[in-house]
Amino acid sequence: MLKLMLNLAEVAFLSKYKCSCPVRFSNFFWSLSLSFLEYIVAFNGYFTAKARSDFISSALRDVDAVNWRIVRRDNPASDYPSDFEVVEIRQDARSSLLTLQDHPYIKRVTPQRMVLRSLKLTDSGTDGASPCNDTRWMQKWQSWQSSRPLRRTSLSLGSGFWHATGRHSSRRLLRAIPRHVAQILQADVLWQMGYTGSGVKVAVFDTGLSEKHPHFKNVKERTNWTNEKTLDDGLGHGTFVAGVIASMRECQGFAPDSELHIFRVFTNNQVSYTSWFLDAFNYAILKKIDVLNLSIGGPDFMDHPFVDKVWELTANKVIMVSAIGNDGPLYGTLNNPADQMDVIGVGGIDFEDNIARFSSRGMTTWELPGGYGRVKPDIVTYGSGVRGSGLKEGCRSLSGTSVASPVVAGAVTLLASTVLNRELVNPASMKQALIASARRLPGVNMFEQGHGKLDLLRAYQILNSYKPQASLSPSYIDLTECPYMWPYCSQPIYYGGMPTIVNVTILNGMGVTGRIVDKPIWQPYLPQNGDYVDVAVSYSPVLWPWAGYLAVSISVAKKAASWEGIAQGHVMVTVASPAENDVKIGGEMTSTVKLPVKVKIVPTPPRSKRILWDQYHNLRYPPGYFPRDNLRMKNDPLDWNGDHIHTNFRDMYQHLRSMGYFVEVLGAPITCFDASQYGTLLMVDSEEEYFPEEITKLRRDIDNGLSLIIFSDWYNTSVMRKVKFYDENTRQWWMPDTGGANVPALNDLISVWGMAFSDGLYEGDFTMSDHEMYYASGCSIARFPEGGIVIAQTLKDQGLEVLKQETAVVENVPVLGLYQTPSEGGGRIALYGDSNCIDDSHRQKDCFWLLDALLQYTSYSMSPPSLTHSKNRVAPPTGTDRPLPQRLEGNHLYRYSKVLEAHLGAPKPRPLPACPHLSWAKPQPLNETAPRKPASVFVINLR
Amino acid sequence: MYNAKGMIFLFVAYCVQEERTIHDRNLLEVRDPHIQWKVKFLLGNSSRQISQCRNSIQGKILLTDELGYVCERKDLLVNGCCNVNAPSSSQYVCKSCLANGCCSVYEYCVSCCLQPDKQPLLERFLNQAAISFQNLFTSVEDHFELCLAKCRTSSQSVQHENTYRNSQAKYCYGESPPELLPI
Repeated sequence: MLKLMLNLAEVAFLSKYKCSCPVRFSNFFWSLSLSFLEYIVAFNGYFTAKARSDFISSALRDVDAVNWRIVRRDNPASDYPSDFEVVEIRQDARSSLLTLQDHPYIKRVTPQRMVLRSLKLTDSGTDGASPCNDTRWMQKWQSWQSSRPLRRTSLSLGSGFWHATGRHSSRRLLRAIPRHVAQILQADVLWQMGYTGSGVKVAVFDTGLSEKHPHFKNVKERTNWTNEKTLDDGLGHGTFVAGVIASMRECQGFAPDSELHIFRVFTNNQVSYTSWFLDAFNYAILKKIDVLNLSIGGPDFMDHPFVDKVWELTANKVIMVSAIGNDGPLYGTLNNPADQMDVIGVGGIDFEDNIARFSSRGMTTWELPGGYGRVKPDIVTYGSGVRGSGLKEGCRSLSGTSVASPVVAGAVTLLASTVLNRELVNPASMKQALIASARRLPGVNMFEQGHGKLDLLRAYQILNSYKPQASLSPSYIDLTECPYMWPYCSQPIYYGGMPTIVNVTILNGMGVTGRIVDKPIWQPYLPQNGDYVDVAVSYSPVLWPWAGYLAVSISVAKKAASWEGIAQGHVMVTVASPAENDVKIGGEMTSTVKLPVKVKIVPTPPRSKRILWDQYHNLRYPPGYFPRDNLRMKNDPLDWNGDHIHTNFRDMYQHLRSMGYFVEVLGAPITCFDASQYGTLLMVDSEEEYFPEEITKLRRDIDNGLSLIIFSDWYNTSVMRKVKFYDENTRQWWMPDTGGANVPALNDLISVWGMAFSDGLYEGDFTMSDHEMYYASGCSIARFPEGGIVIAQTLKDQGLEVLKQETAVVENVPVLGLYQTPSEGGGRIALYGDSNCIDDSHRQKDCFWLLDALLQYTSYSMSPPSLTHSKNRVAPPTGTDRPLPQRLEGNHLYRYSKVLEAHLGAPKPRPLPACPHLSWAKPQPLNETAPRKPASVFVINLR
Repeated sequence: MYNAKGMIFLFVAYCVQEERTIHDRNLLEVRDPHIQWKVKFLLGNSSRQISQCRNSIQGKILLTDELGYVCERKDLLVNGCCNVNAPSSSQYVCKSCLANGCCSVYEYCVSCCLQPDKQPLLERFLNQAAISFQNLFTSVEDHFELCLAKCRTSSQSVQHENTYRNSQAKYCYGESPPELLPI
């Protein structure tokens, strides 16, 4: 039985365990309920159901047949050979297990654990009444085996966003009578014109719908793609979503006359698989669905079969609408498929036009480390306290991007029905109409609101005067515009800096495929200093499906190295698509779009103010199992937020900017930057290996005055083995490929200075320089050169706790080290054993003060007196008593590494790749000034 | 099996079914050994006259029309058919297809599947392996729709759910799933 896990908060605690714990512990463990009679029997190979049954029968031949049975798995895969079976054993379980394990074809037998969701969950921080049973915690360390919670989820289910109507109404009198979302968006204007969605096929991929729900008049078909024998919704999620789109009474939806196709792809336990989706999606293509709502999502944008299939749907003219995710307010939390450029990704707002706290945000992270993410969500709409259909009847009020998505899907369905020439409605034209008409929310940046709030009537106007054309998202680049263009507006550009990359999406309403004619042209405006800017563009060779990218890299020309001011110009791009209604064979339609560019240039800052963030050596999920840096966050075990200064290190970035530092990102090997430009290289939580050339180059750079700060994390092979789990989504065991960081690789990097981190794993609170600190699953410094400043603290041995369920306090754990390299003009190095205090995800106490102090030391050579004179200062450890951590044997890091050869065995580096090279566009200057207001704020030029 | 009488019967049955306001399908219905497939095979006749073509719609570069011609998008006629005189057009192309019936290019898979000699294979598939795909294949109306649907990646194309069994040859008209390659 494989499960699709749900939102993070909702798995925080299992109904099975009634004990709710103090805040610190409430997210402590993955919620497991042991269905203690079921066991997963894994075989040495793939066998047919008959063969598997025979093996088990023969192994259990001495056990009474009534005491065991094979649990049936009714899914399309059951006709094919499998390498496991689920067996229920009623009695004598222990002895049965032993006999099972002896069978030659049986690899292992493990208890089946099911992760269940509970709808009643509220934020784990708010309960905490009953005390915890310590032994239970300890037992649960042992039972670290579960499905991977971060998977495609049915957004808004659980997570505390579900709440019944009126729950908050006592305090919000003004909103005690919620209006219907369709009316707030003025759908009634279109209804009165006679448009109600008729003739538009809309598919709801969700938890199903009951047959005789009183709200729906045109349910064309219901299909079930799960292993449960029902078409009905047992949860209410699918019913609610369908209601927002098409309910005809009480809480009215947008398009009551649309043709509803209900696809049940989630079970009542919210289990789902990629394979179910693939088959259901194929059916949607066959049925020529027009609009498809996916109030689901997950972080695995590298699930290629799924991502490819979503593209395929779009290519077949299905307008895909999906929820952006409920993982806000953290950045770097966009969910797939809403993050795809062909999908309309929808974020949530409340009725006061605030971005809903839960709404996922931040750029896409597919493009890291070398590139920069797309702007998402595309659009926002009401997702908080929206009324929709109840499970059997009546209405209820719910929140989540699951709610916002069908608001847009319903609006899209209604809009499509208003267009006389349906040929003009396609995934690109619909998205163009939505984003061109959206109302921008003041004070919110584009990585939270996209193009703004859905405006149904303006979208209607645009769509009904639409001529096929190309447009851009965002439609202009103004690096001075705050806060909308955050983070671009938060740091001016200067000569010698890493190029600023803007990832623009090209929407092409002319056809499913298209191409860029010749090359995009850079036209600087000479009167507005456009010649101080260099621009390079790269773009999709083929724009498909209905979309492509245009990556614009912006740099400052050498002649402006000490200049300050604003520079402007535009990029001009012509898109062509085959003209399918053209009698002339090979005819093309073309569309030319201007992308205005405006930047603020400052003189190059001094070296000491420039910090380089190493992105290249950060690895993440997907694709690999890179565990969280904080082992207590078990319901969110994967490092999936991108580890970028504009995702989960956003607060740190903002802090550094406020301190006057300029922060740039290194998306290439260490060999690819000019170290004389930077004061400090900042490496945080690095999982990647290092090319030998990088190690040599860094050593030389530091000899020449570059400084280095490393925030490491835990790496302990016993703990890594302990946190392996059976992932029911992918039906395989998951073993972490590194610890929180890749300490053995880091040690290779810093060994030349006699430094090393240990494989210790520590946790605890302490005070450092009058600051409260929390060390969350960090390592210690094992070796540090003589003459260095080392600070030690008293911490708990978390490794012992994880492995042996014992508590031990360790005194004098070296956590911080500062070192001035001896060479003339040489740089400084600072090491700290834990990155959690500068990471936004699951951070308890920030330590930006420490980062400031370290930067004062590395960039300005100022030793912080509070550290040099600390009572916690100890002699640098020589570390000769314990061996240094070794790489986990058999790890699969090579599969995800850019550095290692892609094979098992002794890690061997690949040849060093060439450094990225940008070819700057040859400017075609214009002796004219920019239009005062960029005309293309509205991307659709009504013609 | 698909004689004229059968076709009429099936056509009637289909209309009756359509008249229901809701028709529910369940993947896990009890296996019915007498599934009434609606598929109508037109024996391949390349000289068949046709005024409008359905085609495979989705392709980045290539398209396959219902007569089995593959062509580049620029060689598509206004009626949706490939221009048979264009150099890029050819009929029943099995390029990139392996012996197991799996191809690297979707459009070639569809074209190859439309070859008249693939009919027995497809009939066999419909009568045996397609049980898990009743939803899909009971809705397929003819040879072209069957090939469009059969060549798509599906639950049979993946291992560990999120990885293709064979990311190269993943579009299959044949009976077997793509070859299982190690991750």
